Amino acid sequence: MYRKFVNARSPLRLLEKGLNGGLGIGNIGVLVAGHGVGKTPFLVGVALDELLRQGTVLHVALDQTVSHVRAHYDTVYEELASSTHLDDAAATHTEVDQHRSIRAYAPSGFSAAKLRDAVKVESEAGSKPSLILIEGLEEISREDLLDVGALATELAAEVWLSFATSGEQVTGIPEEVKALDDIVSVVLALEPGDGSVVLRALKDHDNPDLSELHVALDPKTLLLVRN
Amino acid sequence: MAMNDLSKTRNIGISAHIDSGKTTLTERILYYTGKIHAIHEVRGKDEVGATMDSMELERERGITIASAATYCEWDNHQINIIDTPGHVDFTIEVERALRVLDGAVLILCGVAGVQSQSMTVDRQMKRYKVPRIAFINKLDRSGADPRRVTQQLRDKLAHNAVMFQLPIGLENEFAGVIDLITLKAIYFEGEEGRDVVEKDIPADMVDAAAVAREEMLDAISMFSDELMEAILEERVTEKLIHEATRNGVLSMDLTPVFLGSAYKNKGVQKLLDAVNRYLPSPFDIENTAVDLTNDEAPIIVEPKPEKPVVALAFKLEDGRYGQLTYCRVYQGVLKKGTSIINSRTQKKVKVGRLVRMHSNEMQDIEESSSGDIVALFGVDCASGDTFTDESISVSMTSMHVPAAVISLSVKPVDQKSSDNMGKALGRFVREDPTFRSEVNRESGETIISGMGELHLEVYVERMKREYNCEVETGAPQVAYRETISKSVPFDYTHKKQTGGSGQYGRIAGIVEPIPAEEDAPDFEFVSEIKGGSIPTEYIPAVEKGFRMCLDKGRLIGFPVLGMRIIVNDGKSHSVDSSEMAFQAAARGAFREFYGRAKPVILEPIMKVEVEGPQEFQGAMLKSIMQRRGTVVGTTEEGGYSRTESEVPLSEMFGYATDLRSLTQGKAEFSMEFARYLPAPGEVQKELKEKYESKVPDDD
Repeated sequence: MYRKFVNARSPLRLLEKGLNGGLGIGNIGVLVAGHGVGKTPFLVGVALDELLRQGTVLHVALDQTVSHVRAHYDTVYEELASSTHLDDAAATHTEVDQHRSIRAYAPSGFSAAKLRDAVKVESEAGSKPSLILIEGLEEISREDLLDVGALATELAAEVWLSFATSGEQVTGIPEEVKALDDIVSVVLALEPGDGSVVLRALKDHDNPDLSELHVALDPKTLLLVRN
Repeated sequence: MAMNDLSKTRNIGISAHIDSGKTTLTERILYYTGKIHAIHEVRGKDEVGATMDSMELERERGITIASAATYCEWDNHQINIIDTPGHVDFTIEVERALRVLDGAVLILCGVAGVQSQSMTVDRQMKRYKVPRIAFINKLDRSGADPRRVTQQLRDKLAHNAVMFQLPIGLENEFAGVIDLITLKAIYFEGEEGRDVVEKDIPADMVDAAAVAREEMLDAISMFSDELMEAILEERVTEKLIHEATRNGVLSMDLTPVFLGSAYKNKGVQKLLDAVNRYLPSPFDIENTAVDLTNDEAPIIVEPKPEKPVVALAFKLEDGRYGQLTYCRVYQGVLKKGTSIINSRTQKKVKVGRLVRMHSNEMQDIEESSSGDIVALFGVDCASGDTFTDESISVSMTSMHVPAAVISLSVKPVDQKSSDNMGKALGRFVREDPTFRSEVNRESGETIISGMGELHLEVYVERMKREYNCEVETGAPQVAYRETISKSVPFDYTHKKQTGGSGQYGRIAGIVEPIPAEEDAPDFEFVSEIKGGSIPTEYIPAVEKGFRMCLDKGRLIGFPVLGMRIIVNDGKSHSVDSSEMAFQAAARGAFREFYGRAKPVILEPIMKVEVEGPQEFQGAMLKSIMQRRGTVVGTTEEGGYSRTESEVPLSEMFGYATDLRSLTQGKAEFSMEFARYLPAPGEVQKELKEKYESKVPDDD
């Protein structure tokens, strides 16, 4: 299949529809899920979608090594390429890799200022991100998150953060995220459902009616699928 | 000592970054264990050089290139030490040494800490599941900070590193260490620090020692319920600590950290105690071989003297008295005067002389224990061969041998050099599986290939020094490959009628690319001939014909890989068909379909890790990008940044110099082969033009 068809048929288009246009540039989205439910594969799925649409991704990992995150990308890409019969998969893989940069920090060593430094270095080297993913955050101060939001606006980028909850099921927006409600535009929950891992919206911009998202994560292939 | 008590044997390696002082440490170990009677420095003023640096070149450069095995005794234990090289270009030596080791001492410089090469070596140790203890050296140097280095072991190498000692003073005030198990201050006094003296802990360090001991106990209690209970009941014994630590080290979940300065003769004896206490004996490690009589099924080899002998030749050296073969005996006992079989060649060889090596000197022995490291004299074999007795046919699992990525033409300057070059190359090829040598059929040039610029440079240098063979070298060449990217049918008839009996053969089928995956074969030939359209006896000739074409692709003359040829039809002639005719048909078919199958040039891609102070990360990233590199990611830690990337080898020439100037010499890099990838269009075009301008069209 040609790349543009893969993009058009991506379950992410369904997610955008469910969220009335998606996260939107300059905005921050939060993904909450229990440990081992699939936060990384979900974010990698979002990143690959952006990369296949010629975007540039900065993936910040606070609890994993660079090679670990890279292995996730390789696995999900291979699955995606084979399940969609993607044309010219090897060359596209190289291109995708060239537009993605992974940054690993010790959890205590990360701050909004660090992110700014990283973005500056990456931009100077020719990779200005259009999507930033931050994984493994345990906490973030209001000031830092505001600054991350400001950076997203400056870059015209979208930012996704992931937060781990203690149980597998997400009961609602976690307290630490609720306190930052005014800065965060979208909150999604990822939960184990019937044979797949289902995505549910907990917050969708200022929209009081949360619609069904019809997007899930296939736990076998780790691909995002229509539900 | 009880020489046959295997539980008291330690086969260890000393592995680390090039300048962390491992040769100095080995020298001290040999001195304290009574193997040598004087200490020589690596780049010493006495011009003798350290004992383990057995080659002249190593002495001059102050580095260790080939690993020499040596043994010593300490506190009723027998320790075999493999001194391993630290530079990335010689990693095959490190890898081969690791294969035969049961445990290792990871040396780190107390000032520079965990450097990129320590990471490469550590990854290799993980691959071969080698338990480790750490020694932080050079604490007498200015800027030494063992706590920071221990933290780096945790952060950068993900070791559960736990300090078992505290330094008493640092830099030029470094005086000794506090043993956190006995809570005693240890000083190294007398001539060359031979006398280990226990004293009370200095008053100003009592509190710090108590805190550090608690941290240590907390960490190692995870490996023993008994110790955990004893801590709660305040009845901790040294024995319990040693047992728990050993459990943690053997499962590779704990890295105890010891301190010292080998150069200043401090800390070495306590490190030896730790080697005996915590590193595994051959009993503690499970080794597997493959059963050659049962489809290479894995079988466990056990260090039991009554079992059939299984020994691995892991290192060859040509000495004054012929070839010396270093062997690890995995099972049974190797005895002088007996016969053994080389399981690769099936040749029988006699164990004429069996020796135990101490660097350049040797000691004759009658038999080796199971699990021991010994050397055989005058046995013809290659590195990596397995020896067994006649009752079994097994081979130790093959070692990971990376592909050679760079080549160089060498031309002897005179007749004498020409005579010696063959001898030298023959030996290097036997010794080092990553080093290859061949004669180019067209140009007649001798081409050597290996793992990197320095790797080849060292061999050129060794030719000169050890074999009196001067050579001129050409520019380094990247080992490109060719492959096809499209599946196409073919149908080719070779017909020649020139008087006398003619030549006739027709073959038809499909050629297709084999996807580049790990363990994918380079070439596959499938015959789907039914009904004898090609007589069975000619099918091997067809395969041979195709294989002959693989050495030299038609794009730029490099070997072709990743190709599957399926032959499903053909025709023969009762008089004119012959093996030769079908070989020619295969070659003709190859020439015909190659262009249609969209051939592409593959270039070797190297995994490059650059590490340096954070302020230079922009420069480091740019240096990668400018070389057509793909940055995988960057890790930031404690003011340092480490960038992982993939860069085509052809862009890496001269990188060391460029990186130095970009970062004021503060960044360093390591490089290893990652994979082959299609070269970009413009690079392919350039390579093709260059090739075509040199070689006339042979169609």
